Parts: sequence; structure tokens; C-alpha cells
Amino acid sequence: MAGESNIRTALSNPAGWQSLLSFSILALAYLAAFSSRLFAVIRFESIIHEFDPWFNYRSTHHLVNYGFYNFLNWFDERAWYPLGRIVGGTVYPGLMVTAGTIHWLLNSLHITVHIRDVCVFLAPTFSGLTSIATYLLTKELWSQGAGLLAACFIAIVPGYISRSVAGSYDNEGIAIFALLFTYFLWVKSVKTGSIFWAGCTALAYFYMVSAWGGYVYIINLIPLHVFVLLLMGRFSYRIFVAYCAFFILGLVLSMQIPFVGFQPIRTSEHMASAGVFALLIAYGFLKYLHTHLSSLTKSEMRSLFVFAVAASAAAVLMAVVYLTYAGYVAPWSGRFYSLYDTGYAKIHIPIIASVSEHQPTTWVSFFFDLHVLVCTFPAGVWFCIKKINDERVFIVLYAISASYFAGVMVRLMLTLTPVVCILSAIAFSNVLERYLVDDTPKIHHIEDESEDDEEGDKRNKSKDLYDKAGKVRKIRHEPSGEPESLGGNVKTIVVMAVMMILMMFAVHCTWVTSNAYSSPSVVLASYNHDGSRNILDDFREAYYWLRQNTDDHSRVMSWWDYGYQIAGMANRTTLVDNNTWNNSHIALVGKAMSSNETRAYEIMKALDVDYVLVIFGGVIGYSGDDINKFLWMVRIAEGEHPKEIREGDYFTPQGEFRVDKAGSKTLLNCLMYKLCYYRFGEMQLDFRTPPGFDRTRNVEIGNKDISFQHMEEAYTTEHWLVRIYKVKKQDNRVRLDHTARKTDIKPKTKFTSRKSGKRKRGFIKNKMLIKKGKRPSSKNKKPSRKTSSKK
Amino acid sequence: MASRVLIVLLAALVGVHAGGRTLVLLDNLAIKESHSVFFKSLADRGFDLTFKTADDSSLALIKYGEFLFEHLIIFAPSVEEFGGNLDTSALTEFIDGGGNILVAASSEIGEPIRELASECGVEFDEEKTAVIDHLNYDLADEGQHTLIVADPENLIDVKNIVGAKRDTPILFRGVGMVADTDNPLVLDVLTGSSTSYSFYPDEKVSEYPHAVGKNTLLVAALQARNNARVVFTGSLELFSDEFFTAAVQKALAGAQKHDKSGNEAFALALSRWVFKEEGVLRGGVVSHHRKGEQEPPTAYTVMEEVVYSIVIEQLVEGKWVPFDANDVQLEFVRIDPFVRTTMQRKGGKFVAEFKLPDVYGVFQYRVDYNRLGYTHLFSTTQVSVRPFTHTQYERFIAAAYPYYASAFSMMFGLFVFSLVFLHHREDTKEKAE
Repeated sequence: MAGESNIRTALSNPAGWQSLLSFSILALAYLAAFSSRLFAVIRFESIIHEFDPWFNYRSTHHLVNYGFYNFLNWFDERAWYPLGRIVGGTVYPGLMVTAGTIHWLLNSLHITVHIRDVCVFLAPTFSGLTSIATYLLTKELWSQGAGLLAACFIAIVPGYISRSVAGSYDNEGIAIFALLFTYFLWVKSVKTGSIFWAGCTALAYFYMVSAWGGYVYIINLIPLHVFVLLLMGRFSYRIFVAYCAFFILGLVLSMQIPFVGFQPIRTSEHMASAGVFALLIAYGFLKYLHTHLSSLTKSEMRSLFVFAVAASAAAVLMAVVYLTYAGYVAPWSGRFYSLYDTGYAKIHIPIIASVSEHQPTTWVSFFFDLHVLVCTFPAGVWFCIKKINDERVFIVLYAISASYFAGVMVRLMLTLTPVVCILSAIAFSNVLERYLVDDTPKIHHIEDESEDDEEGDKRNKSKDLYDKAGKVRKIRHEPSGEPESLGGNVKTIVVMAVMMILMMFAVHCTWVTSNAYSSPSVVLASYNHDGSRNILDDFREAYYWLRQNTDDHSRVMSWWDYGYQIAGMANRTTLVDNNTWNNSHIALVGKAMSSNETRAYEIMKALDVDYVLVIFGGVIGYSGDDINKFLWMVRIAEGEHPKEIREGDYFTPQGEFRVDKAGSKTLLNCLMYKLCYYRFGEMQLDFRTPPGFDRTRNVEIGNKDISFQHMEEAYTTEHWLVRIYKVKKQDNRVRLDHTARKTDIKPKTKFTSRKSGKRKRGFIKNKMLIKKGKRPSSKNKKPSRKTSSKK
Repeated sequence: MASRVLIVLLAALVGVHAGGRTLVLLDNLAIKESHSVFFKSLADRGFDLTFKTADDSSLALIKYGEFLFEHLIIFAPSVEEFGGNLDTSALTEFIDGGGNILVAASSEIGEPIRELASECGVEFDEEKTAVIDHLNYDLADEGQHTLIVADPENLIDVKNIVGAKRDTPILFRGVGMVADTDNPLVLDVLTGSSTSYSFYPDEKVSEYPHAVGKNTLLVAALQARNNARVVFTGSLELFSDEFFTAAVQKALAGAQKHDKSGNEAFALALSRWVFKEEGVLRGGVVSHHRKGEQEPPTAYTVMEEVVYSIVIEQLVEGKWVPFDANDVQLEFVRIDPFVRTTMQRKGGKFVAEFKLPDVYGVFQYRVDYNRLGYTHLFSTTQVSVRPFTHTQYERFIAAAYPYYASAFSMMFGLFVFSLVFLHHREDTKEKAE
């Protein structure tokens, strides 16, 4: 009986229901975030995806095997041959250390898990944590209900899933969590003004710095927030304490990461934070003076104060500019310029522009990645601006800057996604609050929950919103007065519509995740007409061939995209890889690929290349192959060797890039073309097309007669996707480069062979016949041609 | 009887080891007699000679994938087709497999010899042509000025190939050659004088001659990249007993008369070189380590002192003895050489000590000893040079002393401040408030 009464009191206690509900909703969001990222594992296998993750995996493996200090000091002699790479000093180690720690923890609990599985499932695990961090942040910004909605949104939104499916073991997977958690702690410290929260912010920031280069975004956004608050006249000692504590601790901590080192005090990207710090101190000081100088009149003081602040701001600005010109502070790097001028990279740093994820975003991909959220997101911004306070200034600034960056680079969609989720959640929660209001709020009554899971969830959320709204109502009393006059039907229709939209959102998310973002790209799949699936495992086939059939120290030349995979899967030395730090070395490889065979051979000899690997999609119609990337190789090579390589040579006079007969001679004879199309001219794929028909570019190739002098084909995979060539040693002899001279000044001895299977005797002209008893004499008969022609 | 067979077999075996099995292809067996001095000298030096006519139907260089001979002499200029399994591709295969060939041609030169020469980067002039020199011909010449007296200064100045310096000229009668000057492997052993040219001796010069002046090669040599050696001479008679013993005198007024031509010394020196009795080097054990250590480390660190040594030996009279030279260089290469130093000889080894550059990467110790007359010695050892680990940097640097001082003064100040703060009391003020 006692238990029953307990339950009854619990049931009737709205706070208890609320926390139970929010807990279960968060747990479900976590679960949804985790499980919707498992498509790739279920369809294919537990495998590392794409390119960069292979390096992360390889270095994690090293970390787990050899310990942290060996990892920190790891000099990787297999990358960037012959330059090598200091891995410890050139990576953000957060990801590897996180995975290594989890692995260590599980193993010390005697749960033996292979490090690969830890790596594969790390991103989904952290996605769950991200949704919780989003919840916390949104709760601080708006309300618990909005927080729960935001958590659910971020759990399934494709813009985030694209970078965090199982197997996509990349920095972004944990960095978004770190980013949102840092923001949550920052908002918290701004609200409370406590050193404790500011210290926590700095710690979270430290984790972010260790995980991703995107930390620069935080260290510019938070100062911007403080600066805007100063401009708005919202200065308070809470902000002063929070920012000063965060800045100093964050600065010192971020410099502990070897890859970051002295950058925070030496580069322009970090100067904004230092400048704002100086300004804040000056502002605080003036404020302090303000309270002590009571001799002046109010208006005088006011104008003096404004002048002093402006002067100190100008001084700070001048100081930064001076330091930049004096060379103490490095100017903005090219990657940041390309954020301001989208054409910059194309002209100055083709290697950045060559990466597809650095292209400007199309409108389609906004909808594709965010669906309805992209429409409701401005509404959220509007709500925040209408009811502005210190922390909402922050989210508005975040929204504005992130939308700009996402428009510039596809890749930065990732930083936009969380803020879109948060603000859309605010918008939705506002709408639901308004339209789900029960006209009889006194009766706490739980509606039946017999609906299906998803909708049920949302209902619960909205219900919960309603409860919450009851509390908040005091604050916003006036706006809630008007809509209550709306009819019940209108409310129902609006709520139904919103629910429909959310359902479609969920369906869209699942569809996008399943179709677009769950391909490992190491293994390809194609579908037949009857829906059955073909697995194209050419990449691993080729890498495994390299691993098994080549010398342990052989050096493989390929375009940089495949560097990490070759190192990770084939365990062979590569010349260039996805860590594109040395432009001139990449340009050298690009030059080798775009020169003719003889010139390329010289470069390859200088670089001790043993094998060359190219990706060729012409047989199966794979569009991401080397011929399609070829112009970038030419451009990058041209950037460093403008005298030898000219982009114009690879186009037809009409300015087209064609691989068929009309293509330029330089293109048809360059190494890359020859490597891709060697023996392809003999291959007829089907009866409708001529032999040598390239399915990717839908043309018949222009040069079918390809032969090599210095290379030989070593391996071609089943679908010709990967082709490996061996670089031959130098010729043992140097042949005459022309045929020997033949004149007809005097008639020559004519001769045709009469050798046959049985008769193996050769022929010597003017042979001496030695007969006993006779003097040797030359036989002067001219035998062969005449006799044979008589026959 | 059995023991006698055994002795013969043993003798044959010893013969094989001393000089090597050699196949001699002849136009006719009379050449064996007319060039007996040359062949005898080879036989005396331990070569196991097998004589066959070039059209013999049982000719073969390879049997069951193994080479039957180490060396090959082709004294069959007029061959139009080799017998048996021999043809140009078999011959080039023989060269690529490490076999050495001595080829002597004459004005009767046939196509297979020309093809073989083309494969090696040497171009013989056509059949029935000869090298003609209207100024440097011998007294014994029959009027066509084709019996040429080649001055010793036209010889390549490499002791290993042509033997010690002599002043006796060389008699030559035969076909000329040219070689591409860009070809890095072909050596001009003996060139014609500046007045020589190559054409049909009995025809009017109606076309530009194939070779003119110093471009006319009388003897050319090729050392392939696998160190196989091939020598082409335009004159079979150069090796004959007749030329060996002939007196030489240029048909010019006041020319010096030599009682004996330089042919014998030249031919023998040439045969010593082509059959790898001279100028054969091999690289032996390579060792490298930090100074003061014995074993090579897994990776060097920048700016360490290192010691590199290599054993280089030379083949002298069938025995490997330490090579003696003072121009062997070591390079430390990462695309370009960062260090290039001459190695010192220390007890049969060549040793170099140097400090690694302040550059990390994958380097190679490289010894590339490429001298005329010697086999190409190339040895490369790959090592990695890593940057400092985090514990290898200097711990205390002078520039940091102000910071240490500031840290300690801060600690002291805080201590004093806390003392004052804790023990100082302002009770009066509190009470007033």
C-alpha cells in the first residue's frame, strides 16, 4: 500500500514526470543517434571509411601498441618519402587519445575489443554525447523543451551524420561534441560569472583544441560575443570574470598541443581573442576609474568614457596591425583568405581548391542536409533577437557566422548544423507552446500513449513543453494572451501540420543517411536491375596485392588522395598523402603524372619510385577517378613548375578537356593518360559501344596504341578500378636510336634465312671450302634469294 | 684409365674456374691457326676455349636456363646467319645475363654483327666499306690506303682497358664504326686519326661518308649497366699473328719504323679487360652506426656523429684483394646529396665520419664509384633521420631565466601576501562600520 501511495505521489508530481520524461527522451535520442549511424556497418562490415580515417586509425594503432610517448615522438618514415613526417607534431591527437583511452579502459575491465572496433564506433558514440550537449546548451538558452527537441534534431540530422557514421573515424566526429560542450560551458559561465564554469570552459576548449583545427572558430566566436556585448553596453563583471579566466587558461592550455604550439600568440587568427582581452581589461579599468572620478558631470563623464574606450580599442587594433607588419605575428593563412574570397584558393592555392569539400555550398545541399530545419532556423533567430539577453546574443552570432561559413565551404556545413538544430528547436518549441496550450491548464491529464514510437516521443516532448510553459509563462505574459483566443480546430490543424513536417523530416533523415552518407567508399556497391547487390572491392584487392607481393620498403607513387589508404591498408611507403602540407612535393608528383613518359621517368627515378598506382573508373563508370582529377594535378604542377607544365596544353583549341581523338596531344601522351588507358583500347565492354569506350566520360578514347618504355603493368584489379605499374630499372644497354645506315652505292650480299625446325645450320658468306688435296678457295655463289625466288 | 679421366675432368674444372668457359665463333677454322698467338694467350690464362664455326647447327648459349659460357668471342665477320639457336636476341640476352663478348668484324661484315652492334649503341659501316686514311697508312699497304697505322695517342687513356702506355702504333684494316656521343655506356677505345674516314675504298666518294675524322671508331667498348662488357673492333686482322709480328712504318717521309707493332700488347690488354680480368670491383660489407657504437640504430637523430664503412675489393689474378684508391666518395642523399665526403682507407675498408645534417627525413648512404675501366660500384643503404624527441631538447635555456625569476618571485610574493593577509587585522574599521 505504501508503495502504491509513493507511486501515486510520484505520478502526481510534475517535476518527477518531467525529469523521467527528459531522461528517457535523451536516452532515446542517444540511441537513435547511435543506431542511425550503423547503416554502413550492417550493410558492409566494421571497416574504416574514406581517406583521412585510415591515417587516424593507423596512428591510433601505433598509439595503442607503443604508448603515448612513442606516439608523440613518432617519426613516420613511410609517409612523404623521402621527407618523412613527424606525426606527433603534426596531428591533433585528441581523437587518437580518446580512442586509445576507451580501448585501454575496456581492456582493463577485461572487455577485449579490437582497436578497430573502438575506432569504428567512436563517432556514433560521440554523436550521442553531442545530442546531450546540444540539449544542455539549448536548455541554457531557452527552455528544457526546446533542448529536448534540439537533442532529437541533432541526433538524426544528415548534416552531422555525413561526418559521423560508424567507420568515419575522423576528428569531426568528436570535435562537434567538444564544440557544443564548450559553448554550453561558456554560456553557463557568462550566466553565472563564476570562475569555476570559466575554468571548465577552458578545459573543454583544450579538448577541442586537441581534437580539431576548427577550434579557431571558438577562439574567434567567444571574443566576438564579448566584443558585441561591450558594444551593446551589456558589460558586466560576470562577463569580465568569465572571459578573463577562460582566455588565460585556454591560451595556456591550447599551447600544450604540439601541433598548435606558439600559434595562439604568433598568428593573426588568434589575435582577435588577445585584442578583446586587452580591450576588456581597459574597459574594466575605465569602469573602475569611472566609479572613482565623481568630480565630473554625468555627460562629461559619459563622453570621456566613450572616448577612452574607443581610444583603447584603436590602440589595441594598431598594436595588432603593427605586430603583423613587424613580423611578430604571422598574417592570415591562405585557408582563411579563401573563406573571405571564394576565388582566392582557385588562383593561389589550387591544392585547397582541389578538394571537393572546400567548394562553395549549393542551395540543394542546404536542404539535403537540413531539410525543414533550414526553413525554421531563421524563425528561431528571430525569437532569440526578440527576447535578447547575453547568451542569446551568443547564439545569434553563432548562427550568423556559421551560415556565412557554410555558404563558403561545403565542409563547414558541419558547424552550421548544430546551431540550426538549436534554433529550429526553439522555433518549434515556441510554436508548439502556443498551439498545444490546453485551455484547461489546471487538469494534469496524460493522454493515451498508444501511438507509434516516434510520434509518441514528440507528443511527450510537446507535453513536456506545455508543462514547462506553465512555468515560464509569467515572464512572457503579454504575447501568450492573444493566441488563446484561437479556436481549438485551428490549433489542432497547426499541431497536426507541424507533426507531419517533423515526421517527414525524420523520414528524410533516415533516407539520406541510408543512401548518401553510409558508403565506406573503400568498398563500392552497385545494384542490378533486380535489386541484388554487387560489391566492388577493388581498392582492398589492390592494396592487399601490394601488401603481399611487393618488397616491404617499396615506394608507391599515387595521387595524394590515396596516400593514407596505401599506408594504412598496403603498409607501403608513399610519396604524398592526404596531409597536404608540402605543396612542392605534391607538385612534383603532379608533374610526373602530367609529363610524358621519359620526363616522368626521370622524376620517378629521382624519387626512387618502385610502383605507380592509378585509379581508373572507365570500366565501371566510377566518376571519382584520376582522369577526372587530372586537371588539378596539372594546375598544382603548373603552380610550381610553370615553365614545363601549362594547363592550356591539356585542352583542345576550343578549350575543352577531352580524352577522345580530339583531345590535345599533350594529354594523350602524358603519363597519367597512358597509365589509365593502357590496353583499354583492346577492351570492348558491350556490343553497343566500340572498343576502348570510357563509361565515365562516355567517349571512345583517343589513344589506343599505348606502349611503355620504362614501366610495366604489375596488377589491374577485377573491375580495372585500380591499376598498379612497376617502374622498370634503367635499360641494361642503350640501343641505337635509329636504324643502321643503308645505302645503295654498292650492291649488298642478299640473303634470306633458310633455317627451319630441322635445319639449324647458319650461313657464312664466302665460306672457304677446304678439301683435301686442294688449295682453299672461296665459294662465290650467291645462294639464297635467287634460289628461293625460283621456287 | 678411370683415374686418368678423373684428372682430365679435374683439369677441365680448374680451367673453368680460372678463366671461364669461352665460346669462340669463327668464319672458318683456319682463323684458329692464323690467330693462334691470341688464342694461345687466352688458353694460357686459363680460359676454356670451345671453337666452333658460326654456322654450326648446334650453337647454343643457354641450356636449361643456364648459360653454358661466361664469355663469347665472335671472330666471324661474314656470318649472315648464326647456326643453331643463336641470333641477335640470344646474344643480347647473353649480355643482359652478364656475359662478355668480344666481336671482331672486317669489311665483309654481315647483318647479324651490325644488328648486335646496334643493340649496344654502336653503328658499323656497311659491308665492303673500310676505314681509309690517306696520310696514316702503312708501307705495306696495297694502294687503297686501308692498312691503317693507328697512333697510340688515339687510344683511350685508361690503363685497365688498353694496358700500360706504349708508343708503338697499332695496325688496323677493316670496317669503321660510329657511336652516339650521348650514349653514356659506350667508350671510344681507339679512334681514327683526324684524316681518316670510312667509305668504299674502290668507289668515288659520292655521298657523305658514314664516319669522318676522329668520329671514326676503330675499337669501341660497352660496359652495360649490369657490368657485362662488350668490345667491337672493326678489324679481325688486328688480332692475327701476322699483325702481331709485323713491322710498322707510316708511308710518310721520315716516319719512324717500329720493328713490332703494338697489336699484341693492345689485343691482350683488351682481352684482359673484356673478359673481366682487369678492373673488376665489388662492394662488400656495409656498416654504419653512431660514433662510439657498434650496431646501427633503428633511426638516427639529426646532427649526430656517424661512422660509415664499406669494404671494396678488386679482383687481381683471380683473387679478391682490398681495393686501393683515394677517390671513393660517400654521399648522404635525400633527393639531393646533403653530405659528400671522400672516404679514408682503413685496413681494407673505406671509412667516412661525418655529422648528420640538421634535416630529418629518409636518407641514403650512397657510394657511386663509376670510373672508366672499372665495373660500376653502386651501394645504397637507406636510413631514417628523425628530429629530436620531446626529451632531447635543452631543458634550461638562458632566455628563460627571467621567467624562472618571475615565477619564483611571484611565489615568494604570494607567500608574503598571504602571511600579511592572514595575520593583519583591521578591527578598528570593522567596528566603525
